[in-house]
Amino acid sequence: MSTLDPITLALVQNRLDHVARQMGWVMIRTSRSPIFNQSHDFSCFITDAAGTLVSQADGIPIHTGGGGFAVRALLGAFAGRIDEGDVFLLNDPYVAGGNHLPDWVIARPVFVQGKLVAFTCNRAHQSDIGGGAAGTYNPQATEIFHEGIRLPPLKLYERGQVRDDLWQLLMINTRTPHLLDGDLRAMIGSTRIGAEEVASTVRDLGIEAALANFEGILDHADRRLRAALAKLPDGVYRAEERFDNDCFEPKDIPLVATLTKTGERLTVDFTGTAPQIRGFKNSSVANTYSSVYAGIASFFDSDLPRNEGTFRCVDIIAPEGSIVNARPPAPMTMCTVFPAHEIMHMIWWALGQADPERSLAGWGKNSFPNASGRDANGMTWVMYNWGGNSGAGAAGARDGFNQMGPMITLGGLTIPNAETYEQLYPVKVRRHELRCDAAGPGKYRGGTGVTYEVDILTDAEYSFRAEGLTRPTGLGVRGGQSGALATITLTEKGKAPRQGPSYGIWRLKAARLTIESPGGGGVGDPLQREPARVLRDVRDGLVSPQVAARTYGVVIAADGRSVDQPATARRRAEKQPAQLVPPAPLTSVAT
Amino acid sequence: MTAEANWRIGVDVGGTFTDMILVDRRGDIRVVKVPTVPSDPAEGVMAAVGKAAAEIGVPVEGLLGDCALFVHGSTIATNTVLEGKGARVGMLTTEGFRDSLEIRRGQRDNPWDHRTPYPPVLVPRYLRLPVRGRVDRTGAEDAPLELADVDAAMRVFKDEGVEAIAVCLFNSYAGDGQEVAAARRAEAVGPTRWVSVSSAVAPIAGEYERGSTTVLNAYVAPRTVGYLQALNRRLEERGLKSPLLLIQNNGGAVTVEHVADRPATLLLSGPAAGVGALSYYAAAAGTSDLISMEIGGTSCDVILMTAGKVAFTSNLDIGGYACVLPSVEVHTIGAGGGTIARVDAAGMLQVGPQGAGARPGPACYGLGGTEPTITDAQVVLGRLKPGTYAGGAVAIDAALAARSIESKIAKPLGISVERAAAGIIRLMDQKLLQAVQRLSSERGHDPRRFTLVAAGGAGPLHGGTVARALGCRHVYLPRLSGAFCALGMLHSDVRHDYVRVHFIDLDRADPRGLETIFAALEREAIATLHSEGFVDGAARCERALDLRYVGQQWDITVPVGAAFDPATIRRDFDAEHDRLFGHIQPGGIIEITKARVTGVGRLPPLSPGAPPAAEGAARPTDRRKAWIDETSGWQDTAIYDGGGLAPGHRIEGPAIVNEQTTTLLVGRDDVLVVDKSGNYSIELGGVAE
Repeated sequence: MSTLDPITLALVQNRLDHVARQMGWVMIRTSRSPIFNQSHDFSCFITDAAGTLVSQADGIPIHTGGGGFAVRALLGAFAGRIDEGDVFLLNDPYVAGGNHLPDWVIARPVFVQGKLVAFTCNRAHQSDIGGGAAGTYNPQATEIFHEGIRLPPLKLYERGQVRDDLWQLLMINTRTPHLLDGDLRAMIGSTRIGAEEVASTVRDLGIEAALANFEGILDHADRRLRAALAKLPDGVYRAEERFDNDCFEPKDIPLVATLTKTGERLTVDFTGTAPQIRGFKNSSVANTYSSVYAGIASFFDSDLPRNEGTFRCVDIIAPEGSIVNARPPAPMTMCTVFPAHEIMHMIWWALGQADPERSLAGWGKNSFPNASGRDANGMTWVMYNWGGNSGAGAAGARDGFNQMGPMITLGGLTIPNAETYEQLYPVKVRRHELRCDAAGPGKYRGGTGVTYEVDILTDAEYSFRAEGLTRPTGLGVRGGQSGALATITLTEKGKAPRQGPSYGIWRLKAARLTIESPGGGGVGDPLQREPARVLRDVRDGLVSPQVAARTYGVVIAADGRSVDQPATARRRAEKQPAQLVPPAPLTSVAT
Repeated sequence: MTAEANWRIGVDVGGTFTDMILVDRRGDIRVVKVPTVPSDPAEGVMAAVGKAAAEIGVPVEGLLGDCALFVHGSTIATNTVLEGKGARVGMLTTEGFRDSLEIRRGQRDNPWDHRTPYPPVLVPRYLRLPVRGRVDRTGAEDAPLELADVDAAMRVFKDEGVEAIAVCLFNSYAGDGQEVAAARRAEAVGPTRWVSVSSAVAPIAGEYERGSTTVLNAYVAPRTVGYLQALNRRLEERGLKSPLLLIQNNGGAVTVEHVADRPATLLLSGPAAGVGALSYYAAAAGTSDLISMEIGGTSCDVILMTAGKVAFTSNLDIGGYACVLPSVEVHTIGAGGGTIARVDAAGMLQVGPQGAGARPGPACYGLGGTEPTITDAQVVLGRLKPGTYAGGAVAIDAALAARSIESKIAKPLGISVERAAAGIIRLMDQKLLQAVQRLSSERGHDPRRFTLVAAGGAGPLHGGTVARALGCRHVYLPRLSGAFCALGMLHSDVRHDYVRVHFIDLDRADPRGLETIFAALEREAIATLHSEGFVDGAARCERALDLRYVGQQWDITVPVGAAFDPATIRRDFDAEHDRLFGHIQPGGIIEITKARVTGVGRLPPLSPGAPPAAEGAARPTDRRKAWIDETSGWQDTAIYDGGGLAPGHRIEGPAIVNEQTTTLLVGRDDVLVVDKSGNYSIELGGVAE
């Protein structure tokens, strides 16, 4: 590896990253479902011939570094039977290295001079894959069989020829064939363009030199994370998270991560995490690894490479049969959100103990139902209420984003315009506004969350999967406080409002859906927040004068436009001693 | 627009210098440079006019009075945003939607960079005030507008010293009645005459982008329009007869009067002028398929022109703020002469996107910079000569360049200074190549059919390598590379864009309904052009439809003829979709989303000059060792002074040419040719037919 020319290595790394991004642009512009072209719920990646992920410059964080499992599964299934022009498809988390069923992987082998040199792949969340509920999420699933069609590694194209029979099989197993057809074509097109580019890269360098440089890229990534870890004090850092339900009834379900940092290595041990549960919040191995990787990568510098080399120095212990490594036939479609969110939180909070300056508060957890129905032509529509996304946690020296796409995308998932939704679905959006006093207070406060209100004008089915209704989820750190709870309210025409459940499916006539999304957590003591920032929040209606005085110790003058400096000084002095008692636990798990 | 007058003047106000270009009837070009006056940019413009008049030997009134065209490339709108110096804006929104501006759809450039906050929201929440009322997605009224809410908001705006107002009501793209009524009321009772209305500024679906664009418009309006009106008056007072023209985002020119309501159309004014430059050089280069790569100190702007037309986009990001006005598609990357190279914590060489800026600049400038830049690498490689440049404004010290590359790159990587410098240049060339590919091969254009135009002060050092990697056989290097956009401004038509949202399936569309919309937009366009003096053949309209397969979120704009013909439109759309994305949906439902009309007022084109032909062979003024490329390595290289090169000269590589505003590099197997217009073209050796 030291024999590699550093200039060539840099050129190859940039070129592969460029190819992965190029695949992503093709996907965005060619796919049909809003989930891709508007919400970017897919990842394009390149692996070497052994299935080791070399580049994932494009893609959502929760897919970080997990693609290799899929390619290695197809290599196992088709060893010796992989030909030029083949295109593979798979999704199963138990037998095919999938993360969860809705994420389908298209993998295309890349050949140069008859030799398999790489795979170009696209993992993308399909609009519907059958199963017990429209839109891929079936909160009532108790077995994976309730969650949609399971695909082992299979050849969708054989030597350049599409398998029509198989294509038809896929189309009759979805409620939205008109979307799946176009989306699959877009995925396939993106891997074709990627494969051409990777092949040309390998040809330019010569096969042997190219493969040595792929290895060099992985080695470099390995050194990057080692260098970051070396700066942290050795030690054992523990963090906990919880589910308050198993998707069917209230239950206290702990998740535990113990991080042991020794020199340039990190072990993440999930021992102590609850056994797998009845509902679909169990995780596959691929998803658990990706969640750990995403947590680590997002804690350190944003330019850290995110290929599999990066995580060579990370060992993961995921006890079999636990939530983070479930056995068949446990359902697991929710895993890319829950427990992915919990795993990322635990990684952040444990690493935050080792490096307090980089502490990250919790992001409010998704707490909105999806709605689906049929249009006038009998076609199924599925509407994700992304407008009900949560507030993000504060970080280092910034407040939490007031509303952000899910934490597991680090906000990469774009929130739709209400006007666009009114064009696409039979709805009228009434409100999409920031909440008051919902942000977790802190020196840097959490995001506010929003109030999102939409009239759904036809009969519809509501699929609930909310984690933020009964206890705060955007937890504060280092003296910061937690963001507010979420609420879901449904009001059928002429009936009384009803509170929506955490999990379940409701079928309603035309109704008004109101979501108050949870706030993000704060970082640091709210009494240390700059009074000018508190004033701005009060003027903006995001913090009430009462909370400003009570929690932040900031007294707003009678004109409402300035800080009463003397009163604030007095108030903060009074409150200070109380705050000095024990420093708040680093992972202030709410009770 | 008096065609018989003599001069055309283009002025570009930069951060340090105000550059003026004067072109006479024969196409001869003169460049004048004066310091910019940051406190009053108009002062710098007037100083440039004065200096130019003195050089020509006429009074200012004589120069301006004999001026056919005065075009101003102003970055004032852009800088107002980037420097955060815009107006205090108040915003009216529909109740329930006051926060879309601040939520920003949760979009961030790089999700992984989640520790960086957003740039500050341009209107604080306490100045984004709700009004009751609502129209539905068809534009029909759901609930009446409450004018009392507008009045209440105006009282707040008055108290708070609001200087400009943005009105963006929900669904106003579908029906603007309530929005216009609210705006009229705001004008009548509010504290300011600067009122921007979303349905007029950017009538597209999407409350966030429409609102953001409207707010940007309000934010820049008082300063930008105020400045332009004042400058226009000053120029008129000194004798200018034709109105001052500006270049808009769409690459077309516009008068101050017509941009007063929509100054946000000037936000991309600088790079968009590259379109005019491409059209201008198309004549000299003998092709209308061109890709420009304009490289300055901090960035590289790429524009692609095919068959004389450039692509447009409606998704701009100005300093982190969304702007959805039709704009020339310019792909910008942070790669210029001042771009910094570094070695990361694990030994990987990285180039950019950080730059050293004008201060301290590259290490070799000796102004305190220690980080190695592209310019430093060029110096180490013998491509840029040490000594003074730009009349002594900059002095290059080769030892400083070598020292910074040695300590920051060569030592950490364990390679020689020369290898390190060559590596930096190769990485830079790769980034430039990818930037060009982003607009060409990735959009289905085969770059080999194009002539690459490498411009900007730093472009002609990279043009040959990038063109060869693209598979082009020629690269074109304007003699006045450093004044690329200023020249482009003088070769632009007047353009006005009009758009109307209209959702309907292509196959079910009523031709009469569409015709009504197009006709209305055209009437508006023609009326505006007439008021500017464009009549008969000088004024024309172009129609286009925005189309997509049902379910897609991206539109493709397809030009359409006067008669509505769904079959032709489908064919054109499918062809474009196939080119862009590599597939089509046979028989798919195609949806019309918008009707567009562009009014074009034709200005007389600028013709390239015809300097006298060469007499005798070109003679080098010097020779030195220079690193040419990875294959050729270091070569004994002939150095030429551009002033001594004339049409007809051919120079075999390797060679370096020093020009007034740039330096050219000619590879070992390449031949540099001076064309009839006095510009340069490199014939690349070893590129397959």
